[in-house]
Amino acid sequence: MLVRKRFEKLYILFEGYLSTVILTGILIILPFTLPYTALANEVLIFSLVAVSFDLCLGYTGIMMFCQAAIWGTGLYATALTLLHFTQNIFAAIFFGVLSATILAVIVGAIATKRAHTYMVLITMAFSELIYFIAYQWDDVTGGSDGLTGIPRPNLEIPGIISIDLQAQLNYYFFILFFFLLSFIIIKRITISPFGRILQGIRENEARAQSIGYNTRIYKIVVFGIAGMFMGLSGSLYVMLVRYAHISNVGIDISGNIIMMELIGGMGTLFGPILGAFLFTITADIASAYWDRWLIILGVICIVFVLFARGGIWVLMRDLGKRFFNVHPPQRKTTATFYGDKLEKSTGGQI
Amino acid sequence: MTNLILAQCFNGLSLGIIYVIVAMSLTIVWGLMNILNFAHGLFFGLGAYFAYTVVTVTGNFWLCLIIVPLATGLVGLILEYSLLRRLYGLHVLYQILLTFGIALVGREIIILIYGPIGKSFYPPSILEGAISIGGILFPKYRIFLLFVGILLIFGMWMFLEKTKYGSIVRAGTEDSEMVSCLGVNISKVFFLIFGLAIAIAGFSGALVAPIRAIEPTMGWLILGICFAVVVIGGMGSFVGAIIGGLIAGLSQSLVTLIMPSASIIVIYLAMVFILLVKPRGLMGIRD
Repeated sequence: MLVRKRFEKLYILFEGYLSTVILTGILIILPFTLPYTALANEVLIFSLVAVSFDLCLGYTGIMMFCQAAIWGTGLYATALTLLHFTQNIFAAIFFGVLSATILAVIVGAIATKRAHTYMVLITMAFSELIYFIAYQWDDVTGGSDGLTGIPRPNLEIPGIISIDLQAQLNYYFFILFFFLLSFIIIKRITISPFGRILQGIRENEARAQSIGYNTRIYKIVVFGIAGMFMGLSGSLYVMLVRYAHISNVGIDISGNIIMMELIGGMGTLFGPILGAFLFTITADIASAYWDRWLIILGVICIVFVLFARGGIWVLMRDLGKRFFNVHPPQRKTTATFYGDKLEKSTGGQI
Repeated sequence: MTNLILAQCFNGLSLGIIYVIVAMSLTIVWGLMNILNFAHGLFFGLGAYFAYTVVTVTGNFWLCLIIVPLATGLVGLILEYSLLRRLYGLHVLYQILLTFGIALVGREIIILIYGPIGKSFYPPSILEGAISIGGILFPKYRIFLLFVGILLIFGMWMFLEKTKYGSIVRAGTEDSEMVSCLGVNISKVFFLIFGLAIAIAGFSGALVAPIRAIEPTMGWLILGICFAVVVIGGMGSFVGAIIGGLIAGLSQSLVTLIMPSASIIVIYLAMVFILLVKPRGLMGIRD
């Protein structure tokens, strides 16, 4: 009984800040355990998109299909800043984040005019719009060739600090700084009153409206916040790979991000990181052996939808709870999509 | 110039008819089964590839108009029976993810079999060339396409509005639980209608195959456009889908005259405009 109490205390602590500390520890070790550092950089960058998308889908219940468009906008904006305007790394990131946020807010403002499935339709159409603009506007974006030779400036604040970012490991810690900052902000948002309202919108939007919340404004704000972090991730990515390609705004990237979210576990914040890690590693290994490796990922996606809708994180958590026999106080923080009945039932065959 | 515009209008109509057909089959599935089928574009592409196979093997174009819908419809039925069936009643998110996975795997399998480079084949010799009316050239194949398309849309309308099965489908769109209480085996209806919608998507893929390049990515392209068409026309309206599709086709081919690079972009811009002015779509009757 005493042991069980102790585990419960530990669990609550874990739910609080301990998990973030552990995550930081793991992420510091990560680049030394992977075959090459660039892979770790990629894991971290995609983790950031997946986490910010988790704020949309897992916490607010916004299903969007234009992650790649927002991410890619940040990516292209940073690339263009570095190529044409300035070599200052902060200015480059700032313009990336700014343009992505603006785009996300515009898309959000239009997409939230309609709910649920319609939103998927509209955001997907927006994604195609951005893709075709990037494809056809080749004076600026380089069209199907993309932009090459993008420099990665060093981190220099005159008189204070000067760090060479050309080494992948240094750049990894640079990304890690931004990642942890974003992660803590997002985690803080989810436990704030604002975050609770978002979860209320996810659980029952009509009820949230009838209490008096203007749910549309909240959704647009979420679009903006998520877009901000997606843009950050995009601009870090373009400085990693040093070229901007048209496929970066394509629908495939959006699909990848959604798959990371699904594999990891929706509405858990840590799940998407795990998902991004597994996804990137799997993609890296599979693409080395087979050109058509996307088949493997597609099959994994189908298997998860059919048999493990909660994702790996939820599976692990349930197993852990059962193993330690922990029953922490019920706090509803994870998405409950998989219990939901539709308003329009389908004849009782589930 | 007037001749050119008229000719482009005609091209736009024949293009729009295809958008109408694919968007309609998409909304039938969506309305009845509450599944937003991301794999719908895949079946459109699959139809084109099946048509290519049939034409290269047998050399007979007319044969493919019969075989392709049957083959794609069969694939659709198998997928419904093995995968989609397990997800009815769950949140729409999972159906989107599942169909997205199917679309991904399907596209890669197409590349695996046919290669990443586009294919093409010619229309049958009787439909090659063009007819000149008042100095304007109308390609014969596009006239055929328009004719078949209108026939198909009329057939779908007759089926949905005038037959007993159509009334079951329409009732199921309103309230499928109630329909099943009335003694209709709704799961069988879902099964067959899904197959039918997929067959129609495959058929329209086979129809456009002779006049465009058959590429693995053609499915995504048409899926995005169909989403825009559905948003423009409004959900749950037969007329809306027709108007939306024709707007998309006409604007695409007319803008080609002025600024070819913006021809696809204009469809999405039209969608944004409609959303701002009339969020429910032009003919939308329900959310």
